[in-house]
Amino acid sequence: MQRIVVPGERLHDKPIRIDNTITDNNGTYSCILGYFDDQSKSLIPLEGLWLPKSGDTVVGIVEEDRGTTFTINLNAPYRGLIIARFIETDIRARDVIIASIKELEKDGTAILVRPKRLEGGKMISVKPSKIPRIIGKANTMVKQITDNTGTSLIIGLNGIIWLKGGNVDLATKAILQIEEEAHTSGLTDRIREMLEANKV
Amino acid sequence: MGGGEKPELMINGKRLDGRMPDQLRSIKIESGVIKNAVGSAYIEWGNNKIIAAVYGPKEALPKHVQDPERAIIKCRYTMAPFSSLEEHGRSGPNRRSTEISKVTKEVFENVIMLEKFPGSEIDIFVEVLQGDGGTRAAGITAAAVAVAASGIPMTDIPYAVSFGKVGDTVILDLNKIEDNYSDADMPVAISPRTGDILLLQMDGTLSKDDVKAGMDMVYRAAEVITKVQRDALKAPYEKISERYTK
Repeated sequence: MQRIVVPGERLHDKPIRIDNTITDNNGTYSCILGYFDDQSKSLIPLEGLWLPKSGDTVVGIVEEDRGTTFTINLNAPYRGLIIARFIETDIRARDVIIASIKELEKDGTAILVRPKRLEGGKMISVKPSKIPRIIGKANTMVKQITDNTGTSLIIGLNGIIWLKGGNVDLATKAILQIEEEAHTSGLTDRIREMLEANKV
Repeated sequence: MGGGEKPELMINGKRLDGRMPDQLRSIKIESGVIKNAVGSAYIEWGNNKIIAAVYGPKEALPKHVQDPERAIIKCRYTMAPFSSLEEHGRSGPNRRSTEISKVTKEVFENVIMLEKFPGSEIDIFVEVLQGDGGTRAAGITAAAVAVAASGIPMTDIPYAVSFGKVGDTVILDLNKIEDNYSDADMPVAISPRTGDILLLQMDGTLSKDDVKAGMDMVYRAAEVITKVQRDALKAPYEKISERYTK
């Protein structure tokens, strides 16, 4: 059975190891507002911000050109940093880029590599906790959106999505609906119906 | 403590608003009222009306306040100029609101998992729209819902309530008039999972037995307050789920 749990709520009467929980001798308790599955013992956050991890793909805006480095706004408490001599692309302040995180510095700054400029298009920001649902199991959800709208999507794990071409408005509508209804079941089918009904 | 003549606060074992000594006022919480905030809550606790909002974690500024080991919390409690019968004048910080901001901050420093966000800051705002006694307790209760709704990891959802003493009777959840004319009042914040005390202040005099009796009431109030808090957090999601489960 799946249920919504809040911080401090008991998930299990024995201490077991689950992400985003704390344990004591009497049980395991949630630390977040999340969706808990009793069978698979998984706790999925409903809210919450993204924290950089190495290997994550992100979409961000170049904030400042410092000559040897670029700082990137990642919509998170920590900034991204690109070291200019390691890249071949020509980037400038206010460019929108996609890049992946190579490593994290001690103060939380994310060192980004392989930046690519994104030109034209539209950017929307969603709750980072809903990104896995927008991507879907084995990309099913995102594939469904691109197939039905012809829009190409670039999804940053930091919650910024870049859209270009095709029916951008319909794609945006679908993404915002997924964000709102991420915790419900049967969402893939509902989104498909919605996309097919609005397709021109 | 108010000056002047003291009104009769207990009549035939009941309080002025008809409550029993250990009875709470009605509590109603709504989560997610401010869309710009990461988490927010609106509480109606008796005649208290309070909005709490949480922003962050974000980069802590100015830089010298950053703690490389953990996040810092900034808390701002204010009463609106129109919030109560007493003069609150300009709504800027004063001695009282600075104190309440500090104790509220300390409550949350003990439940939020600050070590997950080194170098960042979390802002908590508590704005009293209408005050009727016990606003610091109601503010903490609402802010706890706002923090939980923001998805910031915390070990528990704290709640707060005050108790006091009128004559020989220990009473729970004082309203404005009881607060002004009672012999003592003591706001307490509790982490219901562990029973830890996160806030304890006192005004007036209480005996050891009074405090024991009062704390019993406070712990018993957890059942009611925690349920209201949890239901408020779950309600927005359940509302969306209900659309599709018939």
